[in-house]
Amino acid sequence: MKRTKEWMSLSALLVLTLLAACERREAEPAPAGALPEVTGKEVTGKLLGPQPGPDRPIPKANNPFPMEQNVLTEGRRLFVWYNCYGCHGGRAGGGMGPSLRDETWLYGGKDQDIYNSIAEGRPHGMPAWGPKLPQEQIWKLTAYIQSLGTPLEPKKPPENPVMPTTGS
Amino acid sequence: MRAMYSTVFAAMLLSAFASAQGPVEFVTAEGSEMRIPRTDAAGPVGKWWLPALDSANSRYSQLDQINAGNVTRLESVSNWSTGINRGHEGQPLVVDDTMYVVTPFPNFLLAFDISKPGFALKWKYDPAPDPTAVGKACCDVVNRGASYADGKIVYNTLDNHVVAVNAQTGKEIWKTKVGNVNEGMTLTMAPLIVKDKVITGNSGAELGVRGWVKGLDLDTGEVVWTAYNTGPDEETLMANPNFKPFYPKDQGKDLGVKTWPPEQWQLGGSTVWGWISYDPELDLFYYGTGNPGVWNPDMRPGDNKWSISIIARDPDTGEARWAYQLVPHDAWDYDEIMENILVDMPWNGEMRKLLIHPGRTGFVFVLDRETGQLLSAEKFHPPTNWATGYDLDTGLPQIDESKRTHMGQTTYDICPSSTGAKEVFPSAVSPRTGLLYIPAHNFCMNYGAIEANYIAGTPYLGADVLMYPGPGENRGELIAWDPIQAKQVWGIKEKYPLQSGVLATAGDLVFYGTTDGWFKAADARSGEVLWKFKVSSGIVSNPMTFTGSDGRQYVAVYAGIGGWVGANAFDLISASDPTAALGTTGAAADLKQVTTAGSTVYVFALPESAAQADTEAAAGETVAAQAQ
Repeated sequence: MKRTKEWMSLSALLVLTLLAACERREAEPAPAGALPEVTGKEVTGKLLGPQPGPDRPIPKANNPFPMEQNVLTEGRRLFVWYNCYGCHGGRAGGGMGPSLRDETWLYGGKDQDIYNSIAEGRPHGMPAWGPKLPQEQIWKLTAYIQSLGTPLEPKKPPENPVMPTTGS
Repeated sequence: MRAMYSTVFAAMLLSAFASAQGPVEFVTAEGSEMRIPRTDAAGPVGKWWLPALDSANSRYSQLDQINAGNVTRLESVSNWSTGINRGHEGQPLVVDDTMYVVTPFPNFLLAFDISKPGFALKWKYDPAPDPTAVGKACCDVVNRGASYADGKIVYNTLDNHVVAVNAQTGKEIWKTKVGNVNEGMTLTMAPLIVKDKVITGNSGAELGVRGWVKGLDLDTGEVVWTAYNTGPDEETLMANPNFKPFYPKDQGKDLGVKTWPPEQWQLGGSTVWGWISYDPELDLFYYGTGNPGVWNPDMRPGDNKWSISIIARDPDTGEARWAYQLVPHDAWDYDEIMENILVDMPWNGEMRKLLIHPGRTGFVFVLDRETGQLLSAEKFHPPTNWATGYDLDTGLPQIDESKRTHMGQTTYDICPSSTGAKEVFPSAVSPRTGLLYIPAHNFCMNYGAIEANYIAGTPYLGADVLMYPGPGENRGELIAWDPIQAKQVWGIKEKYPLQSGVLATAGDLVFYGTTDGWFKAADARSGEVLWKFKVSSGIVSNPMTFTGSDGRQYVAVYAGIGGWVGANAFDLISASDPTAALGTTGAAADLKQVTTAGSTVYVFALPESAAQADTEAAAGETVAAQAQ
């Protein structure tokens, strides 16, 4: 029931927003490609949504380990040792957990993003390994994950018997 | 329902064939001597109260309005999206004028009014399960359905709760937590209601979970007993004088401990994620157990009891009566959680109470369900090569040691693969033909065993597996099997692995679905496909049938690809890694090219005019049959 109410109020909000946009457009047609004029003067009360704004990059750490064979091989060994392969696939192509070798990064694909996903865990079952693993091992796992599908990948997957040579 | 119970109680005193679940009637038909024991617990003819229709797990419906003569006129009359684009296993229930659908996680229970055009949604119950469970379920977030009795719809949620919901109002009556998701445990099977108990089992053998069955009080949800499948006899409920395994190999004290390295039984898998059967005359329930934990066999020398076993227990106490281990010391992940179909048939001239178990291992096992004696074990999947056969005197498989997997090496060309010569998707039987209809599956594999670490809540495997299509052009086949002659009668070859259950009807039809999304009806005698309909997504569910309030016969099935093999259709699995999804991607990645995720409940019927005409034409015959 609670969810239904939330949906109702969300839908109502959406409809109102769309209506507002339409009215504005009718009153003063904007040139093609232009963004509608936005001001804050009509806003009263508490802001509910995220605040848009210019990109302000958050500083992120880079992997202290280079993408070198000994690092990647060790990352692969840890990937098997800590049972990551059981969820994410023998060569990280997914299963219980999502593929790590496709184009999609659910929680970001930068060094620090991958590190955080491993260290903090994620909803839907990904354990938080931060309290269990030395940072060094998490960085090596990060390096291995970033090598997937690249020429640097150690222990590359065999050809797929039913669907040879696909991109991801 | 209370009224029904007292009627049942009265009948029990009167009838020699009575059981606590009501008088036992045998569903029979001209054409074979097969008989299916059935009680009131299955609901009236035309309804569907238990996962497999009856506690015998027959999936045989006596409805015949839709038959081999008119099935070509079958048309879609309703379809509903559940809104959850994951694997839709299991089957709906129909009680009175309501159809009940349990969705994959988050395990909504949807109730549809079948007396309204298009089957209007009456209510939706949300058990609000913990999302952590999603990442602990080995093989998609599936649910195999509910059971109905005493005004309650009872089912499991992925996050280890058993819930009972008021069938009228959709209000929760009780909800019992039976496990911890952080240990890797989940619930996916359909509980079976037996008398005043709910019998349920757990999943998670891929994560080192210790398998069990529990009996819950139907009224209160209280756990009355727990029977583990590994560990000391006190905990497996085998420490009782009535526990009499048939074979010497299965006899002895504390085999659930002694057949493992020290303490390994605590992580020993042997979970119960398939189907439960119940024989009201013997008052025993039956189930099969899953793989031993850890997959790597060299890490657990010994027989590893009671993994990959069929166990008979008393539903009131959980006490074991017999157990038979089909595969000692598994080296292939051959869970034998498959359906145990309880029928009586003549065996060497004598009517016997049989338990028919079409196995993942590639064999159809026929047991005497009173004693647990193995009467027959023959290959229904010819490529099967891990064993050449079974010794009926010892109950042991004749294993080809060259196909046994070992740590530090890869064993090539093992058939079938871990996904089996059939999966959990259940077979049906028909007393009109005396046949068993098996949805079969044709993959082989290369299996490398590697060292494994136990880390709670993560997979506990120690295996690098690559599956690939077995010999022949077909990865699936609907097999009609004669359980007495132990031979195939006909087969319908399918390009993609068969992952749906089968429904057999008195209309001499068998219904099944394909992973590329065709729902089919075949002639139960010849195997000729008479009708097919393309649905929105691959079928991994079990078709069922019922009579509507308008007197028409309906057939329902879910379209929603998923499950271990079916999940390969999802974007979250990459075809470039054939070892993904525990090795199935090498045999099923091309499902992506023929289906996408779906979530539809389909219902079919004959056009109204045709249904009426056929009912009138058949009326005379039905009356005659009932008079017998």
